[in-house]
Amino acid sequence: MSKKIDSVVTHMILIAVCLVFVFPILWLVLASFSKSGSIYDIDGFFPSEFSFNSYHKLFVDTAMYDYPNWLQNTLYVAFFSSLIGTVLVILTAYTISRFTFKSRKMLMKSTLVLSMFPSFMGMTAVYLMMVNFGLINQLWSLILIYAAGAPMGYLVQKGYFDTISNTIYEAARIDGASNFTIFVKVTLPLAKPMLVYTALTQFAWPWSDFILPNLLLKNKDLWTVAVGLTHLGETEFTRFAAGAVFIAVPIVALYFALSRFLVVGVSQGAVKE
Amino acid sequence: MGKLKKMAVGVLCASMLLGCVGCGDSKETAGETIVLRILENDTAKKEGYLDALLEAFNAEYKDKGIQAVDANMDEYTDLAANGPYGYGPDVIYQANDKLMTYAEDKHILPIDVESLDCYSVTPEAAWEAFKINIDGTTYTCGIPVNIQEPMLFYRLDMMPEDWESNWDKDGNKVADFFENWNDLYAYSKYLRDTDTSANGDSQYGFMSSLNNLYLNGEFLFSYGAYVFGSNDDGTLNAADIGLSAGDAAKGLMAMKQMASLMNEGCIDDTIIMKRYEKLADGSYFCVVSTPDTYSLFIEKLALAYEAEGLSAKEAEEKAKENLMMIELPGKLPADGDLTKSSDAMTEDDWIDTVVMGGVNGYGISSYTKYKDACMEFVNFATSYEMIQTRMNTLGIAPTRSDVAEASGGVTDMIFESLSEGRIYLMPSIKAVDQIWVPAQSLMGDIAKDPYREAAGELGKYVTIGQLEEAIEKVDQDIYDAIFTLKD
Repeated sequence: MSKKIDSVVTHMILIAVCLVFVFPILWLVLASFSKSGSIYDIDGFFPSEFSFNSYHKLFVDTAMYDYPNWLQNTLYVAFFSSLIGTVLVILTAYTISRFTFKSRKMLMKSTLVLSMFPSFMGMTAVYLMMVNFGLINQLWSLILIYAAGAPMGYLVQKGYFDTISNTIYEAARIDGASNFTIFVKVTLPLAKPMLVYTALTQFAWPWSDFILPNLLLKNKDLWTVAVGLTHLGETEFTRFAAGAVFIAVPIVALYFALSRFLVVGVSQGAVKE
Repeated sequence: MGKLKKMAVGVLCASMLLGCVGCGDSKETAGETIVLRILENDTAKKEGYLDALLEAFNAEYKDKGIQAVDANMDEYTDLAANGPYGYGPDVIYQANDKLMTYAEDKHILPIDVESLDCYSVTPEAAWEAFKINIDGTTYTCGIPVNIQEPMLFYRLDMMPEDWESNWDKDGNKVADFFENWNDLYAYSKYLRDTDTSANGDSQYGFMSSLNNLYLNGEFLFSYGAYVFGSNDDGTLNAADIGLSAGDAAKGLMAMKQMASLMNEGCIDDTIIMKRYEKLADGSYFCVVSTPDTYSLFIEKLALAYEAEGLSAKEAEEKAKENLMMIELPGKLPADGDLTKSSDAMTEDDWIDTVVMGGVNGYGISSYTKYKDACMEFVNFATSYEMIQTRMNTLGIAPTRSDVAEASGGVTDMIFESLSEGRIYLMPSIKAVDQIWVPAQSLMGDIAKDPYREAAGELGKYVTIGQLEEAIEKVDQDIYDAIFTLKD
C-alpha cells in the first residue's frame, strides 16, 4: 500500500515538474500561432484566434526583418564552427588522453580553471582584437572565436578516449601503424558516438548564442537569428515567438535523429574504466 | 603525427581563405563613386521613405559620383562605439538630445548650416536644438527635419454620440475634452463610472504611462518647471535643475488625479505597450503617443476592423478615416485641480499646456571621409520635395515652415506650437541622460498613490507640500548623478 502511495506521489510531483517545464514552451508555440501580432491581444493564457500569419510573415515580409537571411547566417556560422570546433576538440582530447608530455598535468589544470570563467568576461578584449584584425562585420570572426574556444571543453571527449583499451593501440602499433593511422583508422571509428556528441554540442552553441554576434555584427544583413529576433518591433511578439519556435526545430530534429549516439557519447565519456 | 598536423593546418587555412571570399568593405569606393552610408529610423524604412529618398538622391547625383546607400544597421546604433572603428554610418538621423550627446563628445561634425536650402525656412527654435557652445563659440551640429511631441490618438467612431450637445459647450465643433484637461478628466470619469463590465476594465478615458517624463511632461513644464537653467551667455547650465520650479507640485497633483481614472498600468510602461491594441479594441478612448507611431495604430485598428468582417483594404481605409491624431488639450487648471468643473472656471483659471518635445534631424559623422558629399545629401534630404514626401509618407510634422504651411492641419499646429513655445525641447546636452530615471521613479510612484489609497494604505503624496518635497529631492538626485563622479 505504502509503495503505491509512494509511486502516486512521485508521479504527481514529476508531472507537476514536467508541467512547469513544458508550459512556457507550449505557451510560446501557441502564441506563435496567434492571429494578432501582439502579446497584449492574448486575453488569459492562450490566444483566442489562431493562424499561420506569423510564420508566413517570417519568411515573406522580409523588408525590415529578413528572417531567412538570419537563418542562413546562423546555419553558416553554426556549421563551420561545429566542423572546425569538432576537429580541434577531438584532437585536443585525443592528445591529452593518449600522450604523456611535459606540462600535461599543468595544461589540464589550467584549462579546467580557465573554462570556469564566463566567456563574456573577455568580450571587450575580443571586440578590440577583432577591430584590429578587421574582423568586425564578418561571419568568419564568429566562427574563429567559437572554434578557438571549443577545445577548452575537451574533458568529456578525453574521458571517452580514456575508456578505449590500450591493448588496441598496442596491437596497432605492433602491426606498424603510425600515430596518424591509429587516430584515423582505430580511434575515430571507435569514437563515432563521441564525434556526434561533439559536433552537436559545437553546433548548438553558435546556433543560439546572442552575446558574441550582437557584439561583432553591425550590419543587419549579417545578423544571426538570435540577434535579429531581439530587434523586432514592440508589436511583433508573435513573429518573435514564431522565429524562436522555428529556430528550435532543426536543432531538436538533429537531437532526436542522433540521440542514440548522443546518449552513448555522454555516458561513456563520463566513465573512466 | 606530421600528417595530422598538416591536415589540421590545411583545414584552418581553407577555413580562413573561405572566410575572405565575399568579404568587402561596403564603404569602399567603386571606381570614382563615393558611397555614403545613411542611417534612418525603422519607420522610414518600413514605410518605404528611405528607398524613395535614396532613389531620388542617387538619380540626381549619378553624374556627380555620389551614391547613398542604407547603412543597414540598427536604428539606435551607437555611433560613439562604432564610429571610431569605422563601422558607423556617414549620416545619422536621430533626436536632438541623442545627436547633441554625440556632438559633445565630438562624434558628429559642426555644419555650415547657412549654406543649406532649408536654413531660412526653419525656425530658430529648431536650430537651437542642435547648437553647442564650445570655448565660447557656438556650433550647429544637426539639421532639423521634424518635430516630435506627445500627441493624443483617438478613434472618431468612439466619440460619444452626444458630444456636440453635451461635450461642446462653446459650440466650436471641437469636443471640450480635447480642449481642456478638466473636461478630459470629467469624460474619463464618466467612462469609468459607466463601465458595467464584470471586471470594470472595459472602458477607460485618457490613458498614458504616467512614469514617462517625455509623454507626460505637460504636468511639469506647463507649471513653470524646466530641466536645466541658462547661463548668462545663453548656454545651458546643468547645475541649475528646475523640475521643481514654479508650481510643478500642482501639476503633479493633477497627474495624480488623472492616474486615479486609469489602472495600475499607468505606474509603469504597461499602457505604452498596450496602447495600440487597447485603442483598437475600444478599451481606451484616447491615448498618448508620438507621431511616428501613427502607422502602428493604423495597423492594429485595421486588424480590429478585419476581425469585424471587413476586407483588408476596407479595414485599412476605415482605420485611416477613424484614427485621429491631435495635440494634447491646450489648457490645464492653474491650481492643478482637474476635478473642478470647467463651467465654473474663468480664463484666468487656465494655463497653457506646454509639452516636452524634441526635434529629429540629421547629423554628419566625424568619422566620414566624405564631409562635402554628406552635406550634399543632407541638403537634398531636407529639400522641400523630400520633406513633403517624408511628411506624406510618415505623417511627421516638418520643421520646414513652407511644407508645414502648405499642408495645414495638425502638422501646421505642431509647427506653430514649436514656434510659440508650447513645446519644451529636450535639452541638447549630455547631462540630460541623467534626468530620466529619477523623474520616472517619482512620477511612477505618484501615479501609484491612488492605488495605495484604494487598497487602504496611506497615500505618500496627499498634500502639495509632500509633492514639493519629493520633486525637490528628484532635482537633487539628478544633480548628484551629474556631478558626483564628474571630478
